[in-house]
Amino acid sequence: KTMPTYKLSYFPGRGLGEVSRQMLHLSGTPFEDNRITMDDWPKHKESTPFGQMPVLTVDGKQIPQSFAIARYLANQFGFAGKTPLESAWVDALADQYKDYTTEIRPFLMVAYGFGEGDKDKLRKEVAEPAINKLFTILEKKAKENGSNGHFVGSSLTWVDLLVSDHMGILETHVPNAFTAFPTVQDIRKKTTSLPKLKEWIDKRPVTPF
Amino acid sequence: MPAYKFYYFPIRGLGEAPRQIFALAGVEFENIGISDEKWETFQKTETPFGQMPLLEVDGKQIPQSFAICRYIASQHGLAGKTPFEAAWVDALADQYKDFNNDFKKFFYVQLGFEDGDKEEYKKEHGIPARDKFFPLIVKQIKDNGSGLLVGSSATWVDILIAEAVSRIAENVPGFFESYPEIIAHQQKVHSIPQIKKWIEAR
Repeated sequence: KTMPTYKLSYFPGRGLGEVSRQMLHLSGTPFEDNRITMDDWPKHKESTPFGQMPVLTVDGKQIPQSFAIARYLANQFGFAGKTPLESAWVDALADQYKDYTTEIRPFLMVAYGFGEGDKDKLRKEVAEPAINKLFTILEKKAKENGSNGHFVGSSLTWVDLLVSDHMGILETHVPNAFTAFPTVQDIRKKTTSLPKLKEWIDKRPVTPF
Repeated sequence: MPAYKFYYFPIRGLGEAPRQIFALAGVEFENIGISDEKWETFQKTETPFGQMPLLEVDGKQIPQSFAICRYIASQHGLAGKTPFEAAWVDALADQYKDFNNDFKKFFYVQLGFEDGDKEEYKKEHGIPARDKFFPLIVKQIKDNGSGLLVGSSATWVDILIAEAVSRIAENVPGFFESYPEIIAHQQKVHSIPQIKKWIEAR
């Protein structure tokens, strides 16, 4: 059976598409990194299942929604935990992260330049509480998991990738955001220094988010 | 069979879909309602994330409602029959979650949990959220061809959406008037014998 063809369609940034690009690269699977600019997006919108990106196209069949895509690829390539219980924990941490992104959105929209607002006020009142809430949970879980460089189990999962990439974006807007979370910092350090991931990070287009 | 304990407030909310998945799977579980009075202590001493629902499987905990739904469903063939189907179940569930994040701005006002002008919130948040999300569900039902959302048998996202629809319809009269396919889907799911039985007994 031949390998499926993969195309990941997303905007040129990292955002919701990056974790899936990373898994495709880490697995050594060739894929089309289909980056669609904001200007071109209206032309393509109607051809997507939900009028949104990212979309994964596998042998011509589309899958929408970033976490559905990430979980599909993680299951294909062994980044979803080694047991059903581990997979459930990867899912739980990813969904906790998703809840956090909803909470921190008012700050990030201003920080990314998509809206007007008092960045310092939002950092203090919106960003810092959201970060503390999520990262306290992540730090606890990382320690309970044995401080072994992973949030769940003993090998790389997509939640290690998801959180690590986000930390790289967040720290440019919230200095010293992770001082209180050393075990999480270790996970990020270990994850981003994986040779194959480092290879991707070094060659990917540089984008602020 | 593992021992399942399911912890949530004694309301439907985020707990109802997991409970119905157990019911459809025919799996026994301890359905534990944590009252508001007990919650403060329970939250600090028992929960990994300070939140419910919480599932315990032979004493091992899983938080987060969708992780719980997917775990139970996957163990019992209710999460799609192929990886591609499972991805679509997940995608529809996450699209519902996005809808609910917008919709609840109106729904909480409608239910009286938050202050606001109900008609204004309905116009600003309720109707736009509905009209962005439910056409996608109608299309999915039509394209899928079985009257259900993915594949030929009920999956956890059918349960999730049917429960949301019934809860909304109960509290916002006429809300799905122009979405007969959505009401038909909800009725189809809720007439599945195991689910019908659960609803009658709750």
